Amino acid sequence: MSWLTRLFGLEKPVLTPAQAARLAAWRALPEPDMRDPVAASRYVVVDVESSGLNIARDRLIAIGAVAVVNGRILLDDGLDIVLQQAAVSDKDNILIHGIGGTLQREGVPPAEAMLTFLEYLGKDALIAFHASFDEAMIRRAVKVFLGFRFDHVWVDLAHVAPALYPRLAARKRSLDQWMAQFGIGNFARHNALADALSTAELMLALGPAMRDKTVLNMRDMRALERAHRHNNMAM
Amino acid sequence: MTTPYALVAATLDQLTRYAPFDQMAREHLVWMIERLKVGYYAKGEVVLAPGDAPVDTFYVIKQGIILGEQDVVRAQENAAWLELHEGECFPLGALMSKRGVTSTYRAGTDTFCYELAAADFRELIKASEPFSDFCSRRIANLLEQSKEVIQAQYAKSTSEQQSMSSPLSAIIRREPITCAPDTSLREVLEIMHGNGIGSMVAVDGERRPVGIFTLHDVLSRVALPGLSLDEPLATVMTPDPYTMPPHAFAYEAALVMARHGFRHILVEENGRLKGLISEKDLFSLQRVGLRQISGTIRNAVSMDTLKGSARDIRQLAHNMMAQGVAAEQLTQIISTLNDLLTCRIIELELQDSPVRGIEFCWLALGSEGRLEQTLNTDQDNGIVFNPDDGMDADAVRALVLPFAKRVNLALAECGFPLCNGQVMASNPRWCLSLAEWQDTFAGWIDHGAPMDLLHSTIFFDFRPLYGAEHLAGALRDWLSEAAPKNPRFLHQMAVNALRNRPPLGLVRDFVTGDGHTLDLKLNGITPFVDAARIFDLASGGRHTNTVGRLRELAEMKFLNEQDADAYIQAFLFIQLLRLRLHHGQCERGEALTNKVDPDSLNHLDQRILKEAFRQARKLQTKLELDYQVRS
Repeated sequence: MSWLTRLFGLEKPVLTPAQAARLAAWRALPEPDMRDPVAASRYVVVDVESSGLNIARDRLIAIGAVAVVNGRILLDDGLDIVLQQAAVSDKDNILIHGIGGTLQREGVPPAEAMLTFLEYLGKDALIAFHASFDEAMIRRAVKVFLGFRFDHVWVDLAHVAPALYPRLAARKRSLDQWMAQFGIGNFARHNALADALSTAELMLALGPAMRDKTVLNMRDMRALERAHRHNNMAM
Repeated sequence: MTTPYALVAATLDQLTRYAPFDQMAREHLVWMIERLKVGYYAKGEVVLAPGDAPVDTFYVIKQGIILGEQDVVRAQENAAWLELHEGECFPLGALMSKRGVTSTYRAGTDTFCYELAAADFRELIKASEPFSDFCSRRIANLLEQSKEVIQAQYAKSTSEQQSMSSPLSAIIRREPITCAPDTSLREVLEIMHGNGIGSMVAVDGERRPVGIFTLHDVLSRVALPGLSLDEPLATVMTPDPYTMPPHAFAYEAALVMARHGFRHILVEENGRLKGLISEKDLFSLQRVGLRQISGTIRNAVSMDTLKGSARDIRQLAHNMMAQGVAAEQLTQIISTLNDLLTCRIIELELQDSPVRGIEFCWLALGSEGRLEQTLNTDQDNGIVFNPDDGMDADAVRALVLPFAKRVNLALAECGFPLCNGQVMASNPRWCLSLAEWQDTFAGWIDHGAPMDLLHSTIFFDFRPLYGAEHLAGALRDWLSEAAPKNPRFLHQMAVNALRNRPPLGLVRDFVTGDGHTLDLKLNGITPFVDAARIFDLASGGRHTNTVGRLRELAEMKFLNEQDADAYIQAFLFIQLLRLRLHHGQCERGEALTNKVDPDSLNHLDQRILKEAFRQARKLQTKLELDYQVRS
């Protein structure tokens, strides 16, 4: 069974009975209430590394994530996982994320990696910067390796942040620019885990502005994000 | 749950750049990191506020600045006495004593903190010694590390010298030979001769030392008076000899010998004689000995000899710095030797002088009065005299001034520059009778004009150096009575002192002056000296030494004991930095200044200096509150 046939969904991935049972257990988890206050719930901030920026063609290489619980980033509630690759990504790409060929080949088998990610996540909301890319990469990996549609609650800080700070919106576009705005550091930029940590810190730093505008739960954040997308398209 | 390895590694990487994490075992750090949360505080947000409930979180700054404010009512930016940066921890005092904080902690910029639950903090205290050490003795611990660095630096130049900071127990060479005080002189002399020893210690039945007798005493007390050798030792021995405990340091013994002219000191533990230290034992520790310098000064008959001694004092200071002698002892030793030098100059000038018949006391003022001299100290001195019946003060002054002038010039030759402000005994304004001094001081206290306040900071630290000490004592008695009675004067002193702020920046670590430098004297030492003087005057104290004043204030419960300790350590650290700075300038043949480029200090010293400035700021905050000075 080639990777390409999986890619086009021609064949269902084969899971071991144990893996199938774990997946079933995850799918049976209750959905959290999106009206729960952000300050008193768990959500996961994620960043992915891939073989390139083409959503249709490039592969997921690594997932980095940290959880925020009751407004605090928990260092012991994080995930840093590299997916085992059949083909190593090209050299320019390796230079960006720093995950070398050996590490790519020695990664966690993909189905196992995606299961681990889901179990780590639970059903809690996902937050990312430029989330549509992370969402697309993860959705496709779940589809290919676990065989189902990963429909999940995602919130994109690339829209939430400018919506909260409209006066900064014109000048602040990238994660780096927003990090600079709040004096946020990064221990290894373009490492999925490090970028997830910086994104989580950005999320915390947006807290006061969110409280000011009574953006208090994931539903409010999604509404804010949609409004910002809409306004930007209209411009 | 597990912490991803890369997060552990990155956090380790960041934390181990700072004390105490750089000293902690890796397993303890990893244990801690696995339990950390990251919290965010927007600029201006309160992290911790004073309250009754014990603090439940230990914070380490990940990035940003946290400001500590003493008093909520005055919570404005300039009321901050504490400024914490990346890698720094708080609130240690409250966590250690399981209480609420006394200061408000507020984010100075957008700030991220690592947070550890108090229960985990306590576990870590139990597990990690460096961590526990750091939390319980924060400044002391940093100082310790800094001292190790200094010692290593200087060790090369003095490796052949044994340490003056060894305890006396390490220097005692053998069991001292003793006898009962009723032993006959004949027997004593025979034992001394037979054993080839220069001294005999008389002990009672329980080996408590009761007297000492040395070969020097034979001539003056036995041979010349023609005393019978059948007399008991008790009739000629020096009773109640000076003793020190075995844990006292060699330099302390050397200091006592230099100060009192002793050649031997007994070492006593729990009342029992443990050993005998002779000047020779200490002399072998150093090439340029304290006792040797003081001996040379005592016997000097020419200015050339005294000039040589002044150079030796500087050399000795260097050696002692190398051996890690603390700043407090070092400045005391310098002051003691400078006192001796000044006394000898006065003695030489008094020979054949008409001033011999006048009762007077030479006063040390300013830093000399406080026993806080470093290597670049101007002269600050004055004279108090007691006119004989029938002589008026002006007539006495006319006699004394030429003599004072000669002493000032001789001191200048020995490397103590003449005072630019003319605060010298040869200035007619500062060569006064007791009554005139009292009038002068009273005028300053009543008027409190800017010059009066400035003079008070120099003159009120007076200390008798030579001559009729009771005159200085009487002046001190008068001042301790007069100063506390005038709160307006003390308030003005406080206002004046608070114009001079420790150079801590809100964003950058240090606010530097000309050419990116800090003035260690003006901005570092002076805030402590000024505050200690004002509190001391207010409480009728008699000390002139800043450390002595702070200790006395703690004893009187005027300052909290831990606070006083922290002030003292901070003050002494800045003094040590000054001494090191001066020493380096001496070595390079540069003019001595108090200005230091903070970037020239190692990371550790920068941290301690910051901490020391914070302590100065805290002390000033107390001054502000006590005297209701609005900043």
